[in-house]
Amino acid sequence: MTAKRVTPKDMGRMGDQPVVSYCVKDLMEIPGLESEPPIPPCSPAWKEKYDMSLDGFAAIGFPKPKTKAEEDAICARFLSGLEKLFDPENNWAFCQPLRLSYDYCMKCQTCSDACHNYVGSGRQEVYRPSYRAEVLRRLWQRYFTPEGKLLGSFVGADVELNWQTVARLAESAYRCTLCRRCSQTCPMAVDNGLITRELRKLFSQEFGMAPTEVLEKGVVQQLKTGSSTGMRPAGFRDAVEFLADDIGERIGRKIEIPIDKKGADVLLLHNAGEFLAWPENPAAFAILFNAAGINWTLSSEPMGYDGVNYGLWNDDVEYARVVIRQAQAAKQLGVKKIVVGECGHATKGMVVIADRVLTGDLSGSELGRESCLPLLAEIVKSGAIKFDPRKNDFPVTLHDPCNFARSMGIVAPQREVARAICPQFREMAPNGTQNYCCGGGSGFAICNSYNFKSWRNSVGARMKMKQIMEAFDGELDPQQYPFKYVCAPCSNCKGTLRDAIGHYGLWDKHRINYGGLVELMVNAMVDMDRPFIDREDFH
Amino acid sequence: MASVFLWLALGFFALMVVYRFVKISSMPLHLRWELYPSPLEPNNYGGSFMENVDFINKPRPHLALGGVRELASEVFFLKKVREHNRHGLWPFSLAMHWGTYLLFCWLLLSAAGLASAAHAVDLIACLLGALGCLGLIVKRATNRELAAYTAPVDFFNLLFLLAIFATGLVGWTGLHKTVFGLFLVYMPFTRLFHFVAKYFTFDKIFWDDRLNLRGSDIEKRIQTQLGYKVTWGAAHIAAGKTWVDQVMITDAREGNKQ
Repeated sequence: MTAKRVTPKDMGRMGDQPVVSYCVKDLMEIPGLESEPPIPPCSPAWKEKYDMSLDGFAAIGFPKPKTKAEEDAICARFLSGLEKLFDPENNWAFCQPLRLSYDYCMKCQTCSDACHNYVGSGRQEVYRPSYRAEVLRRLWQRYFTPEGKLLGSFVGADVELNWQTVARLAESAYRCTLCRRCSQTCPMAVDNGLITRELRKLFSQEFGMAPTEVLEKGVVQQLKTGSSTGMRPAGFRDAVEFLADDIGERIGRKIEIPIDKKGADVLLLHNAGEFLAWPENPAAFAILFNAAGINWTLSSEPMGYDGVNYGLWNDDVEYARVVIRQAQAAKQLGVKKIVVGECGHATKGMVVIADRVLTGDLSGSELGRESCLPLLAEIVKSGAIKFDPRKNDFPVTLHDPCNFARSMGIVAPQREVARAICPQFREMAPNGTQNYCCGGGSGFAICNSYNFKSWRNSVGARMKMKQIMEAFDGELDPQQYPFKYVCAPCSNCKGTLRDAIGHYGLWDKHRINYGGLVELMVNAMVDMDRPFIDREDFH
Repeated sequence: MASVFLWLALGFFALMVVYRFVKISSMPLHLRWELYPSPLEPNNYGGSFMENVDFINKPRPHLALGGVRELASEVFFLKKVREHNRHGLWPFSLAMHWGTYLLFCWLLLSAAGLASAAHAVDLIACLLGALGCLGLIVKRATNRELAAYTAPVDFFNLLFLLAIFATGLVGWTGLHKTVFGLFLVYMPFTRLFHFVAKYFTFDKIFWDDRLNLRGSDIEKRIQTQLGYKVTWGAAHIAAGKTWVDQVMITDAREGNKQ
């Protein structure tokens, strides 16, 4: 069943019936995929407690109000937050781009087919890039503009505001990964990704509401403990010690991982989740940086060992709190620059967004901030380390994390590395700045509450799975091609790929694995007497 | 009389262009939010200066001409609509836009005293414009994906434009000038006035990758804005404090602990 007749007004209707509902056969076909798990029905217990009336899924879990007074309070709070989004003091960070995107959408729907969620879902209306923006626009018109108050539906101000409109909008803000592929196609440079981000901001900064993994168990925990993983400085030092021992056993020689080295050239800032989920990634960085003779260090200061900044996705206050502490940790060490590891959002957050937050001795001219990818490319090009591409003689494709490619214009370095060390490297299509999101961007990779994981796998990651299948077309047979590698130099992308590859059975059926870029580099090092990548290990 | 009104309307329109430009310019400096590929970058594959190690200490060349070319291709050819719109809007939208541009050319030629050239241009403008408006009206009324997002006022705007072109086509010159004048007065209050915004959305947002260096004008503006007060209502935010104070707090629920 598809919901082809849905319009923006439907967001204002009352009742538990979802605005759209669908099953697997309604979704975009993935050629070559023989079967996939069905979408499980929504739990009645969740339906009773939370509003699931957008699409039957929940990332936030908007609690149903119990009284009319609670309902009214939700609406009043929503309008208060909406007004603050356009206030130059409360939202100086984005009020100009938001205002322009709000006022000048020509509703030509040129952007629609750029969206992996919209197309992947079989074009479910609520995932159209302009849908939630239009609902928000009509509400703004209705409550805040003279023409909307006077002329109502004549100017389009026809969406009813009730607590369910608010609840659906809250959930809807977490059906877009802010990848901004739609914005690339807009003839007016209207940014529906930004509008979605600002809608998230309204809920986070006014309601204190966001997926628990992003706010309470994410950035709030990071500010309290030093890391979104909950890992405290002593725990971090233990983890690094364990990592050094583990690498030693794995590669047959002990390596040194510097911590809190004063005056180092580079503070390497990882997504701390790497130490827990993919320790081979920080291990590979350590091997490479040592071998290349880079004067580098990790920090064990709170906030100095976790590069993530989930506020980037929904909360300017939390974002600023985190990034300033991260920069201060680097400054205390006296390093020349921060280099962010393989994590897209952490890199964009630290290099681009922070640029107009950090001032004085934390500004870019005083403390450099860069992505690791150019440095990795320079290591390859300089000849500082000898690589033997034959060690990576298996099919490899590259996923461009949106934050690197589309938001930062970092496109060439990762390709220069992959082409130099992977003889069977091939692009997926489209790629570079035109890439599709993995489906886990803007926090989706870590959002696993309620039934959101099911949505992410079935809809969010669908386009990426199709691209991966196409990239390895003709080589899917696991007997003939027993190991294939999707290189994704980003923690959130890897988390999404891990789950989605499992969901669609691409490892079991086709031996498609995934991992970062540095693992491929270490695997190809001439100095390594054994493979660094375990071809039998999927984790 | 109609001519006088039209020139007055054009003056008002020009003032509104300036007013809107100043109003948008005076909004706070936003955080960097660029989008690639950027036509200002010398790389044709979408790469930026951030692909370089130590980019802060290296030249970061930008091609202003690339931005001009990109904006021109949008304004004069509606490039993105042609490449990405799958609802067939491009030919009609292009015709409508060119019809409007040529109306302004008609005014200029008239002012220059080139009556016969002005008349010819007006005729072409009206033909193109009428075709474009009719096509867009039909598309927006009959295409379900467009219709769901088209409000009555959007049809009104297109009909208003169509009235300018139709009166020109049938040769009702006085009425043609009057309707065009009325439209020039009306347009600044609608989203049809988007051409002013377009400069900002592209050049000042999507392509704005200017770095904040210590002591720069950007830094001064940011420091001023960090002094603004925050009144957001969520519990983790300390309402009433400035952004500078706000970031020193880890969680306002814990007694504004710093």
